[in-house]
Amino acid sequence: MAIDAANTTTITPRRSGYRFNVTGWISLVIILAWAAIAILAPYVTPYGISDIVDTDYFGPMSAQFPLGTDYLGRDMLSRIMFGARYTVGISLAATLIACTVGVTLGMAAAVTGGWFDAALSRFIDALSSIPSKLFALVAVAGVGSSIPVLMLILGIIYTPGSYRFARALAVNVNTTDFVTVARIRGEKLSYLIRAEILPNIIGPVLADVGLRFVFIVLLLSGLSFLGLGVQPPEADWGSLVRENIGGLPFGAPAVMAPSFAIASLTIAVNMLIDNLPQKIRDRSE
Amino acid sequence: MTDKISSSWTSADDAIVENAIRRGASRRDLLQMLMAGGLAASASSLVLARATSALAQTPVKGGNLKAAGWSSSTADTLDPAKASLSTDYVRCCAFYNRLTFLDGNGTLQMELADKFETKDAKVWTVTLKKGVTFHDGKPLTSDDVIFSLKRHLDPAVGSKSNSLAKQMVEFKAVDPLTVEITLAAPNGDLPTILSTHHFMIIADGTTNFAKANGTGAFTCETFEPGVRSIAVKNKNYFKSGGANLDSFEFFAITDDTARVNALLSGDIQLAAAINPRSMRLVESQPGVVLSKTTTGNYTNLNMRMDMAPGNKADFVEGVKYLLNREQIQKSALRGLAEIANDQPIPPMNKYHNKDLKPRAFDPERAKALFQKAGVLGQTIPIVASDAAGSSVDMAVLVQQAGNAIGMKFDIQRVPSDGYWSNYWLKAPVHFGNINPRPTPDILFSLLYASTAPWNESQYKSEKFDKMLLEARGSLDEAKRKQIYDEMQVMVANEAGTAIPVYISNVDAISNKLKGLLPNPLGGMMGYAFAEYVWLER
Amino acid sequence: MNLHLCYLLGGRLFVALLTLLIVSFVVFCATQILPGDVAEVLLGQAATPEAVAGLRAAMHLNDPAILRFFRWLGGMLTGDLGMSYANNRPIAELIAGRLGNSLQLAAATALFSVPIALALGITSAMLRGSLYDRSVTMATITVISVPEFMIATAGVLIFAVWLKWLPALSFARNITSFGEMLRIYAMPVFTLSFVISAQMIRMSRAAVVEALNTPYVEMAQLKGASRPRVVLRHALPNALGPIVNAVALSLSYLLGGVIIVETIFNYPGIAKLMVDAVATRDLPLIQSCAMIFCVVYLLLITTADVIAILSNPKLR
Repeated sequence: MAIDAANTTTITPRRSGYRFNVTGWISLVIILAWAAIAILAPYVTPYGISDIVDTDYFGPMSAQFPLGTDYLGRDMLSRIMFGARYTVGISLAATLIACTVGVTLGMAAAVTGGWFDAALSRFIDALSSIPSKLFALVAVAGVGSSIPVLMLILGIIYTPGSYRFARALAVNVNTTDFVTVARIRGEKLSYLIRAEILPNIIGPVLADVGLRFVFIVLLLSGLSFLGLGVQPPEADWGSLVRENIGGLPFGAPAVMAPSFAIASLTIAVNMLIDNLPQKIRDRSE
Repeated sequence: MTDKISSSWTSADDAIVENAIRRGASRRDLLQMLMAGGLAASASSLVLARATSALAQTPVKGGNLKAAGWSSSTADTLDPAKASLSTDYVRCCAFYNRLTFLDGNGTLQMELADKFETKDAKVWTVTLKKGVTFHDGKPLTSDDVIFSLKRHLDPAVGSKSNSLAKQMVEFKAVDPLTVEITLAAPNGDLPTILSTHHFMIIADGTTNFAKANGTGAFTCETFEPGVRSIAVKNKNYFKSGGANLDSFEFFAITDDTARVNALLSGDIQLAAAINPRSMRLVESQPGVVLSKTTTGNYTNLNMRMDMAPGNKADFVEGVKYLLNREQIQKSALRGLAEIANDQPIPPMNKYHNKDLKPRAFDPERAKALFQKAGVLGQTIPIVASDAAGSSVDMAVLVQQAGNAIGMKFDIQRVPSDGYWSNYWLKAPVHFGNINPRPTPDILFSLLYASTAPWNESQYKSEKFDKMLLEARGSLDEAKRKQIYDEMQVMVANEAGTAIPVYISNVDAISNKLKGLLPNPLGGMMGYAFAEYVWLER
Repeated sequence: MNLHLCYLLGGRLFVALLTLLIVSFVVFCATQILPGDVAEVLLGQAATPEAVAGLRAAMHLNDPAILRFFRWLGGMLTGDLGMSYANNRPIAELIAGRLGNSLQLAAATALFSVPIALALGITSAMLRGSLYDRSVTMATITVISVPEFMIATAGVLIFAVWLKWLPALSFARNITSFGEMLRIYAMPVFTLSFVISAQMIRMSRAAVVEALNTPYVEMAQLKGASRPRVVLRHALPNALGPIVNAVALSLSYLLGGVIIVETIFNYPGIAKLMVDAVATRDLPLIQSCAMIFCVVYLLLITTADVIAILSNPKLR
């Protein structure tokens, strides 16, 4: 889904009071817990992710298989723990790519202006007019699906949104007196971006990073529906939901558990952003 | 019989079930009876589906059938030569006819042809039925037959059966209803070859396939590639009575779960090729029955014998012992498969060699063979893809078995797009998927002869080639059976193709839909169900 | 003002054409990296080298790709979309029906979701910090974090298989009554609304909150204007720009992004057409679909811009 937050730049709800509230803390704990599971997965999973350990399929929750078994009789708990690596890892990398490239180009376009700005903006417009899933389809068909490719594709898909967002913010900052002074002083583009623009837009940019992360997680699961996501026997959470969707009529834990995992991560990330300490959010306001 | 439930299930048992139904036993009674006999629940309901449909009550006329296949795209076509998917076959069977067809027992029946005659299996005289007309009113003549067959030789047509058609070198219209076909070399199987779906008869000179103009039981009212087709009963059909249905809508629902749900909600009356894992859901629903066909479709592991590591015969044999056929059958295919013995002719075919037993799972023996080949400890890449059904699951099972004996397999899962042109036949170790073919001659000439276009493992044997020609030219059944038996042993022991199981096809149908019988040419009654089934009200 | 608007629209039109040209070229380059071609796809397993060569020659696929691209572009400029490689039918004919279906579904979804999303967003902004606001926020995030194929499949199971209230397939058949139309569109529209509403709710809420913080709104409040009046008369016009922008972007998703919904409900729309085109390497069809997505996107974005300009007194 193409997301553009450009025109809502400096908006964050202003709540006075404590610096980092309970919701924020809970969210942070959930995110850190998933990150820890992702890192420690190989050491703590009870079974191998591709070991068929149950003769039945879509097994219920039991002491032996706490989250049941999947469509081939593999342990779901182990698969979800490993899935955290792909969902968190790929999404994080893609978010970083999208935001680094998008924000840098956005600021450069705002500061440089002129034909550079115009050409880049047109190109980005063109890029974002191609529906993201179809873009991914062509790219994966062209170069094959691998984890670096997925990161790159997701990164590229979300760069336009990030670019537009950062550019809109930077254009505002660009007209302020201190930037004008710095420019007259003869400072270079890289200095202007690094020292003058970035510190003044970092708050909303961070908020945007979080939101973009959520959409990348969701697009990744959408790609797995089309068979373009992480390839078996490995699976991200979206692929886990997809491959076990046949268990839905029985309410199999194999399909419910990864859905809850996705929901817990995305909700936590959003809640964390909404409840970031006032200081970070207000830096640029 | 195409519908083997388990090895202990015999036709005598079938008769018991049929008798019970005649006596008015309810579905519940029957299930109890079958369960008492030690059959698993899933197998029992399969028996039921078959027994009830075999006890065909009088067909009911009328009704509109909606049926869904599993794949469809803008490349859907009404051109029988180009037809490539089940979806195309279903439509072709509804709109056109073949010269011959195979019935449920695998016996050849005449359709548009009245008879096939030959003295030497080289020059064939085909007499056509009288009074057959195309949908546009034009009568069927030998020119139509010659046009339909000859176009397979033109590369611009892009025929799927070009390699089979090539043996027909000369066509002659003797009179308006008699065609003489001359083959390059004798082939006793010609009438069976012409029963395959690509050899549907179209009107002379047809180049536009936006609508179908055939002789079939239905006329084409709507055809939108990738969307749907609507067929209406052909009132002038040459077979007496014609189709039972008034109309028949066919489309594809690619998502497995969505296809089953559409059947359960009553939107459609037939969901083709359901996923083995949907069985549990479907079985728990009243009003749905399953129709199982094991036709000889298989997914096989190919090791090219002209490349490492397949050039070492011990490696090839080791892999055949490392395939846990029972686990593939039970775990990957949920019981919807029959264990195979590394050769392409399935048990339902009369030429199947019953004395050739499948290899047992024997990792220790495999280990010894790998050691002898000097590959133990190496990492062997295996190319798998969704394009070859269940190949990824099979690869995972092989990988697991290999890990236990210190043999590493690296699964390279590649996209379905372009699999057949980029990986199949090319990679040293890869999976293939072969659709059922009606005769051993077709299978062997396509897949195992030294010059075969799809020689998956690059198997080359002069002896094999000679035997193939001998059996092809012979009209002596006993002799052919004997030769084919020996050829199956050769393929199982010498070729680099490991064939673990024959995969069954299960169609789920509404219990209102009657008359659907298994057929050796594929699921959905060899794709020709529309003409024969009826809907009860 | 009218002159200014004409100038603006003219400029936009020029830029849009330029963007279209870039997109067609980018798509062309992308299709060049796809392995295999339509001849191989059509022949499938029967793709022996001789057969492929024969079919390629017959389909004129041996001409240089760039030449075929310019041929297509030339045709496009004269309004001729060309013939599909895969089934040799006019592309315009293939697209026409599908585009109609897609637009119908998009329109139904927009009619349903936009008012609800905006109402939820604006009211939660007005009641900022309240329990209502927090539950709306929580609900939107929860809804958007469930993969859409899960929502769609669960919907079919509940409403079609178990309750039998709605059909499982949304094939746009010959609709005879309004009630039937509602039944057919209910589930895909619901699923899509889940997907696109979250963004609109978040954006409209944020925009209104921002507008409520501006000095002149605070002034209006001090003057004693009622809260709904403040929101509707003062805050909303200023927040309209970002809101229509968010709506436009969400709606652009409804044409190309709905492949999952089209697949599950078997709805013959244009997204599935393009997926087919990619699978069969049907280059002219891929190009034409991409053009349509691009045109609709530009149309929506431009409309949003114009509304934003007209609604903002400063820009006007």
